[in-house]
Amino acid sequence: MSKKVIFSMIICLAMVAAGMLFDAGEVTGAAKQTITAAKVKNAPSGLDDAAWQEAKAVQVPFEGKEQFAGKKATVDTKAVYNDDGIYFRFNWKDATKSVTKGAWQYDGQKWSHQKGNEDRIALLFEIERINKFATKGCAVVCHVPAGKAAKDGKFGTVTAAEKGDMWHWKAARSDPAGFADDKWLTKIGEEKGGRKSDAGKGGDTKNMTADKSKPMYMPAPGKKLAKNDILLVAHAVEIKDYTGFKAGDTITFRMPNMPEGSRADIKALSRYADGSWTVMLFRKLDTGHDDDVAFNPRKKYNFAMALFDDSGDENSYDSEVLTLQFAR
Amino acid sequence: MKKLNRNQTDTWSEMLALGDIVARIKGLRVPADALTWHRFSGSLLLVLLVLLFLSGAFMTFYYSPAPGAAYDSVDYALFSVPFGDVIKGVHYYGWNIFLIVMGWHLVRAFIVGAYKSPRQLLWVSGVLIMLLIPALIITGDLLPWDQNGFWTTQVRISIIASVPIVGDFIVRLIQGGPLTGIVALTRFYVLHILFLPALLIFLIVVHFHFLKVRGLSGPLFKKESQPETISFFPRLVNRWLLLFLGVTMALGIISWYWPAPLGDPADPTDSTFVPRPEWWVLFLNQLVTVFKGPLTVIGSVIIPGGLVALLMALPFLDTSPERHPARRKTVILIAVIVAVILLGLSITGYIEHFNENHA
Repeated sequence: MSKKVIFSMIICLAMVAAGMLFDAGEVTGAAKQTITAAKVKNAPSGLDDAAWQEAKAVQVPFEGKEQFAGKKATVDTKAVYNDDGIYFRFNWKDATKSVTKGAWQYDGQKWSHQKGNEDRIALLFEIERINKFATKGCAVVCHVPAGKAAKDGKFGTVTAAEKGDMWHWKAARSDPAGFADDKWLTKIGEEKGGRKSDAGKGGDTKNMTADKSKPMYMPAPGKKLAKNDILLVAHAVEIKDYTGFKAGDTITFRMPNMPEGSRADIKALSRYADGSWTVMLFRKLDTGHDDDVAFNPRKKYNFAMALFDDSGDENSYDSEVLTLQFAR
Repeated sequence: MKKLNRNQTDTWSEMLALGDIVARIKGLRVPADALTWHRFSGSLLLVLLVLLFLSGAFMTFYYSPAPGAAYDSVDYALFSVPFGDVIKGVHYYGWNIFLIVMGWHLVRAFIVGAYKSPRQLLWVSGVLIMLLIPALIITGDLLPWDQNGFWTTQVRISIIASVPIVGDFIVRLIQGGPLTGIVALTRFYVLHILFLPALLIFLIVVHFHFLKVRGLSGPLFKKESQPETISFFPRLVNRWLLLFLGVTMALGIISWYWPAPLGDPADPTDSTFVPRPEWWVLFLNQLVTVFKGPLTVIGSVIIPGGLVALLMALPFLDTSPERHPARRKTVILIAVIVAVILLGLSITGYIEHFNENHA
């Protein structure tokens, strides 16, 4: 073969090779907010601890749905961590402090439930990867049957291999006990959704008589109401004599239990002031429980949040999926 | 005791029938500057290649090439296996540095005219190796099955498909169907861990063959005296092992403090994700931006292909025996102009894709 033929072949080969090897992309990756947990030596002991100054606040936007459709909210989010635990601080505007949760009210004749729900904030992490959670967020775990209302929807994963870790702070039902309700998410069952309580005790107890006509418990002698004037189960005693109540008296309907076991992993501090909530949730990085996500500071985590303003599960403000990373 | 060890070694060499090879290696002499402070890029490339092979082999122990399991298997290898993220980091930073060093190796060989007779095929084999590395990177990018790898592959596949005549055929060949699914992932995996490394080893053997036969490029000015030599074993091997140790430690430390990224799991339904081009293809990306519509082929095939062709044909185009850059002004000037254009395209690409203030 002549040199010219070899040269031509080389050029042809090179042209094809260059075409095959060409690589390009466009513009930028999908915008996703990242919460960076700052590493601190000493864990924050409160909502105003100096440790929070180490963390950069991220304004997380929330979109309202159902009752709040078209409305927006913003939660100022910070996170710090140390060798042992992770700490989140959330701050959001809320014109009304809602902690009623159907509390009993006596009108002098009979007991009835007050109107009003409670304020809440919920976080969902992945324990085992939930398919498309990283891109679609909570939408992939909220299943509303075709033609049904949002309140008829079920919350859960598609397969048992997918597991979520839910942190649920409730102004009336968990905060007065100093905790957020620790739940986990699994496959939706035939009858029920996939939301489960972590192992142990917790949650709340309904304060009502068997006929549901009036409260069954009141504060025990010497026991005070907890934060937000909520009666804890641990401080309650059965009402023996209802004659002592006067018109206008109120009693908690949903009494928080003191959580135990894995359900007691997430502790909470809160404050409502100047028309906004400030909530601090904290937990061990690794609780050692199967129903909790174990945080490895070398890894990034996807999570999403929901905000409830005096509303039920279907009426919420939802965030897009976020990334949690740990500063070194 | 010393004598006993020597006898043992001899015995083992004889038992393994390696006596001749051992004797040849021991007797091999190489130029004293084969691995020095001013000539190290080739040895460094070999170090990086060994590290890439070793770290890649480690990852194959945990990797599962199926879309439903690939991401989780990589996640497990990174965060559940002790030092898994460091080893992944060595692989990740290794190829990035490999590209830089390979670029420098090429530039140095060009400047000192190392491609000239009798080393033409040494240069051509080097350019072929250079073309093979992006293929390894491209096939490797898809394997973690994360958003960036998946969508970057989509962009690459669409560009390959735009190559006239052979584009669609190549896409069908590497993807195994119309979608990037399990067949594509399996093919990319097999290419990445088997065929491409085998081809790379073959090309490196060819490169070394020409290196041994044609020798290293000597000094620009011929010296009267014979060049100094050192023994291949143990002198050169020890220098190389020292370099290997240093690079391994450096990459290990970098990987520990700045772990290799692992994006979100791939979601083929999330078309909102648009990947950023990698640094080494910014100029190519800009070429496509310049030539749009029916002219795309100019930016995606003709210009890059022409440059590669020019590079491969260089020893056959610049046939003068002169090696000193000051006496090769035309060739050097053309190279500088091309380099400035490529650098300019890369900078504009960087501003466009990575500068957040860019409108």
